[in-house]
Amino acid sequence: MTGTGVDGAGANVPTISVRIGDAVRCGRAVTVAVDVDPAALVEAVRSPDAAADGRVAVDAPAPGPVHEHVGHVRPGMGLRTRTALARAARSRGLETPHDDALASVRDRLAATSVEEGDITSRRRAVAEAATETERLRERVATVRGKLQAAREHGGDAAAVSEELASAVRQLSETETDSLAARQRFERVREHARERRDRRERVRKLEDKLANLERDARAHLVEQLADRYADAVADAPGAEQVADPFDADPVTAALAIGRLASLSAPVVLACDRFASAAAASRWLGAPVVRV
Amino acid sequence: MLLVIAYTRAARTSLRNVARAHEDSVVRRFGRVALFEATEFGAFQALRLREKHGEAIQVERTRPFNEFEAVRPAVREAARTYEDRETAAVPYDRFADGRDLPPPEAMKGVEL
Repeated sequence: MTGTGVDGAGANVPTISVRIGDAVRCGRAVTVAVDVDPAALVEAVRSPDAAADGRVAVDAPAPGPVHEHVGHVRPGMGLRTRTALARAARSRGLETPHDDALASVRDRLAATSVEEGDITSRRRAVAEAATETERLRERVATVRGKLQAAREHGGDAAAVSEELASAVRQLSETETDSLAARQRFERVREHARERRDRRERVRKLEDKLANLERDARAHLVEQLADRYADAVADAPGAEQVADPFDADPVTAALAIGRLASLSAPVVLACDRFASAAAASRWLGAPVVRV
Repeated sequence: MLLVIAYTRAARTSLRNVARAHEDSVVRRFGRVALFEATEFGAFQALRLREKHGEAIQVERTRPFNEFEAVRPAVREAARTYEDRETAAVPYDRFADGRDLPPPEAMKGVEL
């Protein structure tokens, strides 16, 4: 073990217990048989209640956000190195000058809600009423023509006249409905506009939050960059790279795991360490090695 | 044209992706706003976005503005003479007062 202080394994690494079937193993470093699915172990760490009845169960402190990144170290893993490193910094209690602003924006976002609305049916009602009005206008015109023809050529003018009256009446009713539909639409459109104003405020806050988070992340990464470089250089089995942020994901995850304050176990499905105990000492965290 | 405005970050991302993928149907694109061509295909893209994001996507139809059709001559005259004024600091309502120009309130009360 080469780490010192907070980087190294301390006496405060918690003891965990891992149950596979009926066999239970306890300790800071546990090795399980190769036929155990590492993903099932990770799942058991992250959702112990869901896994309690399964073949695999882990009794350990609950994982923090950095565990999402470095809690399952395996060949072919992906890693957002800077995000993970920033979370490692948070796990150690590091702060940034942006934290007050972040908290304030988060509070304001939490206090702002926009109800969902849908005025599709109102738009449809307006369009349908307009189409129906147009249809009836044409019908009135047609019947007027028919009445004209009946008068000129001696048809049943009285019957057609009645037909016309009926068409005019229908048109008048539909025009009234159409106007009402449009008025209703205007009203709900006002509400939709207010909802948009609120959404606009939420979006601005979210943009602000994203910017602050980026700045905070940069600050946290900056604070740990040197230690991270040291951890990468010290990681067993790592290839040498000029920029530690170009390190392969397994190496980077191990280095970040070493820097992070991890009380939930790291599931190791890689052969970088001679034993689970060696891994646990190097990481300063409980380890389940497959 | 169809004016499509995104009101959430997710809707903005979708709008950008759609606008980028169908540049030939996009007349203009600003941050979270795009003007689609007034074709069925432009409408299809706008409706897709609204289907996905609901009210977080606003769709409006624009039409060309011809000041010779849309407004009375006094309004055009007011714009021309006001922009031609000698004292930059004078606000329009004071400028219009005493001249034969429509006051702001009168213009606000008239819809196009």
